[in-house]
Amino acid sequence: MATASARPANPIVEKATEILQSLIAPVVCSSAVLLVWQLLCSSADSKMPGPIKVITQTIGTITGGFAENGIWMQLLNSLTRVGMGYVGAAVLGIAIGVAIGVNKFLRDGFDPLIQILRTVPPLAWLPLSTILFLQTPKPAENAGIFLIFITAIWPIIINTCVGVQQIPKDYTNVAKVLRLSGKDFFFSILIPSTVPYIFTGLRIGVGLAWLAIVAAEMLSTGAGGIGAYIWNEYTSMLDDSISKIILAVFSVGLVGLVLDRFVGWLGSLVVAE
Amino acid sequence: MQTLTNPIAVNSKTGDQPFLLIEEVGKVYPTKKGDYTVLDGVNLTVKEGEFVCVIGHSGCGKSTLLDMVSGFNTPTSGKVLLNGKPITKPGPDRMVVFQNYCLLPWKTVYENVNLAVSAVFPEKSKAERDEITRSNLHMVGLDEAMNKKPGQISGGMKQRVSIARALSIRPEILILDEPFGALDAITKEELQEELLEIWEEHRITVMMITHDIDEALFLCDRLVMMSNGPSAKIGEILEIPFDRPRVREEVMEDPRYFKLRNQALDFLYNRFAHHED
Amino acid sequence: MTILVDVDHIDKIYPLKTGGEYVALRNVDLKINQGEFVSLIGHSGCGKSTLLNIIAGFEQASIGGVVLSGKQITSPGPDRMMVFQNYSLLPWLTVRQNIALAVDKVMTDLPAAERKDIIEKHIDLVGLRAAADKRPGALSGGMKQRTAIARALAIRPKVLLLDEPFGALDALTRGNLQEQLMQICEEYKTTCVMVTHDVDEALLLSDRVVMLTNGPEAHIGRILNVDFPRPRKRMEVVNDPTYYPNRGEIINFLNQQKRDKRRKARKVSEEKTSIPAVTAVKTVEKSVVTLGYVPTTDAAPLVVAKEKGFFAKHGLTQVELIPDSSWQTIADGLANQRLDCAQLLAGMPLAMSIGADRKRPTPIVTAMVLARNGNAITLSKKLYDDGVRNLKDLKKAIAATPDQPHSFGLVDSVSMGSLLTRYWLASGGIDPDRDLSLSIMSSAEMKNQISKGFIDGYLASEPWNSAAVKDETGFVVATDLEIWDGHQNKVLGVREDWAQENPKTHVALVKALIEACEYCDDRRNREEIIKMLAKPEYLNLPAEQLRPGFIDPFQRSLDQAPEMLVRFNQYYVEQSTCPRRAEALWILTQMARWNITPFPKNWTEVLERVYCRDTYGQAARELGLPDSVDDHESVKLFDGLVFNPDDPMSYLASLKISHEIRVEEIVFEEAPAPRSLRSKSLAA
Repeated sequence: MATASARPANPIVEKATEILQSLIAPVVCSSAVLLVWQLLCSSADSKMPGPIKVITQTIGTITGGFAENGIWMQLLNSLTRVGMGYVGAAVLGIAIGVAIGVNKFLRDGFDPLIQILRTVPPLAWLPLSTILFLQTPKPAENAGIFLIFITAIWPIIINTCVGVQQIPKDYTNVAKVLRLSGKDFFFSILIPSTVPYIFTGLRIGVGLAWLAIVAAEMLSTGAGGIGAYIWNEYTSMLDDSISKIILAVFSVGLVGLVLDRFVGWLGSLVVAE
Repeated sequence: MQTLTNPIAVNSKTGDQPFLLIEEVGKVYPTKKGDYTVLDGVNLTVKEGEFVCVIGHSGCGKSTLLDMVSGFNTPTSGKVLLNGKPITKPGPDRMVVFQNYCLLPWKTVYENVNLAVSAVFPEKSKAERDEITRSNLHMVGLDEAMNKKPGQISGGMKQRVSIARALSIRPEILILDEPFGALDAITKEELQEELLEIWEEHRITVMMITHDIDEALFLCDRLVMMSNGPSAKIGEILEIPFDRPRVREEVMEDPRYFKLRNQALDFLYNRFAHHED
Repeated sequence: MTILVDVDHIDKIYPLKTGGEYVALRNVDLKINQGEFVSLIGHSGCGKSTLLNIIAGFEQASIGGVVLSGKQITSPGPDRMMVFQNYSLLPWLTVRQNIALAVDKVMTDLPAAERKDIIEKHIDLVGLRAAADKRPGALSGGMKQRTAIARALAIRPKVLLLDEPFGALDALTRGNLQEQLMQICEEYKTTCVMVTHDVDEALLLSDRVVMLTNGPEAHIGRILNVDFPRPRKRMEVVNDPTYYPNRGEIINFLNQQKRDKRRKARKVSEEKTSIPAVTAVKTVEKSVVTLGYVPTTDAAPLVVAKEKGFFAKHGLTQVELIPDSSWQTIADGLANQRLDCAQLLAGMPLAMSIGADRKRPTPIVTAMVLARNGNAITLSKKLYDDGVRNLKDLKKAIAATPDQPHSFGLVDSVSMGSLLTRYWLASGGIDPDRDLSLSIMSSAEMKNQISKGFIDGYLASEPWNSAAVKDETGFVVATDLEIWDGHQNKVLGVREDWAQENPKTHVALVKALIEACEYCDDRRNREEIIKMLAKPEYLNLPAEQLRPGFIDPFQRSLDQAPEMLVRFNQYYVEQSTCPRRAEALWILTQMARWNITPFPKNWTEVLERVYCRDTYGQAARELGLPDSVDDHESVKLFDGLVFNPDDPMSYLASLKISHEIRVEEIVFEEAPAPRSLRSKSLAA
């Protein structure tokens, strides 16, 4: 309960002020970074372009990014690949996670294998996956998708499995008293209570997948993608290459952030507070 | 028992110089929906060496009131005076014991207490500070647990450390915020008895928040019952007349005990019943 | 009232990782009526939640079982819906969905519309209409628990089980919920079992408060009936004049248990620090045992155990039976450690532990009953000639001659015989302390005095009654069978410290004596036993004198035909050997009645300590016998007065002829070690 406030409040104005206030700190600090960067690169013999130069040199790239082989198309290309591998990893990872979570035999059996495989760095899979898909129509494409899949699946399996094992006794007791059937237990208790864990796994998975795809595309440039884009600019080393690389790196970071937040947001929709 | 329509007038009868004076204290928090008045016109005088308990439903502002005495919070209106001087910030003359102990987990029991002693008595020698630390731990029966870390001792022992720490710096007021709320019944009673013994020996002024009527009746000289928030104030003060030193069994069998207990129950469950939602 | 839930003598035993086992519950027997609200109260670790979980079906009893309306409980089910302390709501479902999940999954035979009605009705019932679409995360603790209660009630369970339902809420927030729960339960006549540690909560809500002792081997220590009229209101209940006395009873019980817990904790820590030898010993600690007794036929089990080798069989190779002429010498012998153990009169362990007759208390434990019945009241020939045949005549005869002194002989003030005699006299309207003069003397002396006309009557065991009948100096007016059939008469007693130091010897002793008791109750052995008893080293009496009652029919007077009293000397049948706390409590009431000792305010504690059922239980189990009995069964004596072992105070109040009852806290525990706290000083 609150006693009526004395000063009149305009909700829109208040909201706007709030947003502006929250922006002050990031804007100030980012500007400082840009300023230092500009100062460091302002000498004539600096090979690195300053922020102003980067923007002027890449305006064309930004606006023409949707043309074929443009930067945005390459980014989209990478995203599609990640999407395919990731969805596969999510579906299979959750299924395996639930299976080994409820079954002690499977859990004990597969645990050592999973523990070993999950620590393998993504790029170590690249030669294997390339060989594996050599005979397929699009070997580089498929190898990339597989790499995403194999990278993202481990955290999803492990977290799902932990979630299933960690179902609080409070909930299983309810299921016991109500004598819920196996199916009812699965859908009414097991899945909802595991969801937060699954999404933790999914979030870690998407981060790893995005890390892996850029590196993979740099190494096998045949299928394009943002990694290949960066690599091509690096090998050609034209006048504006460094600026383009900087733009691409920044975009990769931004997309990574968006992906992470997107999965997080998806999770918050599903998971009850 | 006295129903306080004019608490200042009643308290002034004692004629003592007020030790702790809470006068017309109000606390208002600005919120988005407007001002929220937690306390409104609270008056209380505490004599030196008195044991006062504050009881009320959650949200009645009793913690806010205690925070003003400890100095973690300041009143919006009115004043809180200790020995005639306004309280503006926390200080070692008003030591707080929290429900959740607030011990540093990486330091031993001894170091936790010694830290406070060193901070408050920097002018004393290391040997003197060591002596103070040890004697206070001895007082709460923790000689043997001195070198254990908080993680290795029970909740009751943690709260003992917390009390030893508070007393080691010789505060003028000991402020206890539901100190025994997290303990099981047996440990709780043990600690209540120990607290009383310490208090009876040192006659330190104590202000304590509790949810437990029996605890309050056993410990305090006066039981301050707060009305419900918002705009909470002191609804009624019960004088607890049992002789000291108190023995739990005797107190609980005293016919006055039942009367006082029922008065408190009536206040909390009937006249100021709390309805959530 | 119909019994809905029958908790039938359950034990709950957990195997320990270290081997061995932990007995959480021992012999818990509780019948819960339809529509009744029962609270289980006790300190943490007393197994009250275990008991509730067994009723719920989450756990199974190791021995015994729980029957709900005719069916044994083996798994959880919706007919026993549980309200958990931590609510157990599904956080991803709203209030309505949480209730709906239960209703939809359980009441599958109802049409959807009807189920919806039930859900909505229960949302209103707990006043959560405004929060129906909120998830638990958005609710306060109290609202969560209301949701849980609504969910539980919606599926119409036969029993509502509540596990400290308000324990997680702050003391003051509980108030409303308690009243709300009470209203709902009263309205729906729900049968409820609630675990709580809040005395006020238990009193406000319950019809019966079941108090559990501490684990291990937790059992029902007491049951308190709560009779406040319903519907109840908190302020009316607390203002009821019986509220605080009732509250005091429970708190008193809990305090006793608290002391007991501390004592056990101390014992454990002492054991840990001091003598590992005790636990390491596989066989008995002592094979040489001195056992004192007064030579009567009741000594039969001791003599048989020795002569027939039962002691030796259990490793007690050198048991020395030491006869003493008086019970007082025996008591002193135990106290000053001359004796390891002794046959005692039933009242002696309690009287010695409390410290009767201004003597220094000696904590004694008794682990078994050695003999039941076996006494009779003999009156003088003169009274017989005056036409006295029964109690009524005696009263008349005494009333007719108020100026004459009448005197009675007793062997000891705390013998069961003496207490029963007093009881018998009092129920006939004779005040044993005003209308008679009672004096303590030996049985032989009594027989001598009655023949000379110095006393008008006495109570004694055999052969002292039959002897008077045979000499025509007296007649038997009543046997103790007629007053209380099956009462304990002689018990085994040892000092508490001895029992603690020699637990295995103690168990071996009890086992040997239980087997001896069994031997004694086989009537085929009685001729042989008589011969043993008659030996010079034991009773040193002609065998003929020992026969009446023990083997031969018992003759009350020369002009009456002898009658066969099969149970006159009872040693074994009907679990004779098990020390019953209800009987011990009766002794406490009578000792208080006649101002021999004060009545212990902490009587449960006294009984737990003196009536050592751990030792009996272990011995009985090792022999494959039932290890306990019902301690809450009421006892009815010959005058029809019922003694309810859960309510000794009202029993004391109901006794007509009585001294003023002193009720005192009996602290027979060594003072707790002085804590450093109590001698402190602040430096600085």
